[in-house]
Amino acid sequence: MAAVKTLGLFNNFETIKRMLSRVANNLIWLERYMERGNGIISLLKVNFYANQDSPELFSWTPIIQNYNASSEKIHTEDAIECIEYMVFNTSNPNSILNLVTKARENARSVQEHISREMWLCINNYYLYLIRKDLIRKLKEEDPIVFLDELKKYHLMYNGTMDLTQERGSSYYFMNVGKFLERVIQISDFTAMKLIEIAKTSDSLEQSFYWKNLLLSVGGYQLYLKTHKSSFQENHIIRMIFQDKLFPRSMYYCVNKLSRHINKLIEINELEKNNTEFLLGKLESTIKYTTIDGINEQGLNHFISDIKEDIKNISLSINTVYFSHSN
Amino acid sequence: MNNNHHFSSYEQLSNTWDEMYSNNAEIRTPYETIIQYLKNTSKETLIKKEELSKQLFMSQGVTFTVYSDNEGIEKIFPFDIVPRIITAIEWDIIERGIKQRIKALNLFIKDIYNEQFIINDGIVPADLIYNCPNYLREMKGIKVPHDIYVHIAGVDLIRNNDGEFYVLEDNLRTPSGVSYMLENREISKRLYPGILPRNNVRSVANYPNLLYKKLQELSYHKNPNMVLLTPGIYNSAYYEHTTLARLMGIELVEGSDLVVKNHFVYMKTTNGLKQVDIIYRRVDDDFLDPLEFNATSVLGVAGIMAAYRKGNVNIINAPGTGVADDKATYVYVPDMIKYYLNEEPILKNIKTYQLSRPDELEHVIENIKTMVIKKTDGSGGYGMLMGHEASDEEIKDYLDTVRKNPSAFIAQTILKLSTAPCYINGELSPRCIDLRPFALSGKDGIDICPGALTRVALKKGSLVVNSSQGGGSKDTWVIQ
Repeated sequence: MAAVKTLGLFNNFETIKRMLSRVANNLIWLERYMERGNGIISLLKVNFYANQDSPELFSWTPIIQNYNASSEKIHTEDAIECIEYMVFNTSNPNSILNLVTKARENARSVQEHISREMWLCINNYYLYLIRKDLIRKLKEEDPIVFLDELKKYHLMYNGTMDLTQERGSSYYFMNVGKFLERVIQISDFTAMKLIEIAKTSDSLEQSFYWKNLLLSVGGYQLYLKTHKSSFQENHIIRMIFQDKLFPRSMYYCVNKLSRHINKLIEINELEKNNTEFLLGKLESTIKYTTIDGINEQGLNHFISDIKEDIKNISLSINTVYFSHSN
Repeated sequence: MNNNHHFSSYEQLSNTWDEMYSNNAEIRTPYETIIQYLKNTSKETLIKKEELSKQLFMSQGVTFTVYSDNEGIEKIFPFDIVPRIITAIEWDIIERGIKQRIKALNLFIKDIYNEQFIINDGIVPADLIYNCPNYLREMKGIKVPHDIYVHIAGVDLIRNNDGEFYVLEDNLRTPSGVSYMLENREISKRLYPGILPRNNVRSVANYPNLLYKKLQELSYHKNPNMVLLTPGIYNSAYYEHTTLARLMGIELVEGSDLVVKNHFVYMKTTNGLKQVDIIYRRVDDDFLDPLEFNATSVLGVAGIMAAYRKGNVNIINAPGTGVADDKATYVYVPDMIKYYLNEEPILKNIKTYQLSRPDELEHVIENIKTMVIKKTDGSGGYGMLMGHEASDEEIKDYLDTVRKNPSAFIAQTILKLSTAPCYINGELSPRCIDLRPFALSGKDGIDICPGALTRVALKKGSLVVNSSQGGGSKDTWVIQ
């Protein structure tokens, strides 16, 4: 009897909920897929407008090349065909349809960890995407309305998560995924533009690219408010990489990433190992490199350092769930 | 408005009990409210309701995936919008009958894996047990908590033309379908606002709490770590696994999430290994432990049976319960009830012929057109011969197979499954139905949730209600 009692007591102390490694992994990837979809839709929308203005500057090829990891090569500059490829094509691993399908599979397997509302939101998004008449909507109607409809599902998803998901390990893991992906996205979007910028010496053209980058990450309005309609490379880089209050700046996202990782370490869901160290290194790179410092090493170099750090952080989080899998 | 035309082409099957109409084509009292509602509703509205029910299933993700050509197609389990109604008096018989049956079956399983009194006393032949592919030698002599083997049972009943309920199958392994009992009710609430309370329909919503309580009581821990083990997303009942895990508040795990160390079962968490006390498994016996059963299984956990034998983990239902719901064992259930409980069976068995007995085989062959022959270890409505609709050649081929191993087959007279009104192509038509209530056994006895899964053979004239073969389901109202 005494033994039973002791066990009971022990159990009361054991109320901290431990999360399955597979679940943590699926939560991270659920958010990574959703966030990637959200970013790609923004990119498509911005490029559609720009492409209508100056197709020679804003070609679709760089976008497709960046996201299409499949061996299938696609050569078309037809805007609708490109959007179709990026939204519906099932052999494109980063098509919105594929991303949402994967996000939904992850959500399905962690239903007891996410709010019911989030699951319904993702499931309805998926059901919307597989509607038979949707491609026709893209081809026959306004592509912006089409992309905005998709965007709404992401806005609803993010709002639903904020309002319905309890703060705790699931929420923190999802946010780790979200901000990891966002940091990667900022780096990718910038790198893509840098390639184009390097091709021209015309400063007007270069300013178009910079402006386009601002639009893609969603910082255009803030930029105008802060710097008026004068596009200076240094201001833009500072805003995208170092602004403290702009929610899609590198600084802001790394801060958030660090916050959620630290929460997980605090509640013992994540081992300190070297995640903390790598994160600290990245944070200080972003916070303390001056704009002159960035220019000195070249933005390209700066970005590839960040990407390397992010890759290592991601791997170090991976080791947490892979280390228990054998 | 009166839409009697919904009923205009309702042709009752001859010599068959209809749930809605009495023999003189009068509406039975319990159906009056819902029928009145249908009469006052236009065809367009009913079709819209039908459409709504489909949408609700899709948007909630209540689907199963059918795989063909490497492509998965998600489907919903067809749902008929007209509820099936069971009166309090009928329910009382069903409830007492199932409790009695499960009690006896549980004693039988305990007996079979221990002293085997029932064999020694000559009630059940030893051959029957040792020839049964679901008998597990590995379970012999294992002491299971509170002597409960069958924690969850989904007994299939049918109503014959005499108006009585008969047991078709006991389903003591990993019965599925309970999530549809829950989900169908949620849909009814949306389709018929206000009608449920007016009919005093008993609530089924408590099922997950009841199940949790029953399983929790099995453990000596106050807060046992309970998990639901699923074969994974490719399983056709995956939706049910996620739903039950969510509604019970327990972790949904796959075999690869678990590991056995020093005869304890652990789950792999972000913070290391955490011990698991109770496993509600939805993985078949054969795939449970590659060390003891199917060695190629990746769905189970190596070493789990050894941990179970040591009493370090509880597996729900116990392995080896299949020995008691085998179609050959079925024949002996009335005898078990008498033997263990000294009671008369409340629910009847269907007259069953054992084809290993030459006289019975002969009788079956002579009356083949009124017989159904089944494999003793078959399920899902596969591998059966329905005498009344098979061709002479099919009958001949099937009987040839039977003669090779007659003890692997049983035959039953084809019963007249009762019919219930279904809304099909804009009008009500009778379709054959069965009934699967869910019984939960715990240390304080057996409880049955006042509701069930009613399966429907949607094909006209068909007797096969299995979801894999064109079956659908209905909400089932047990009224007070």
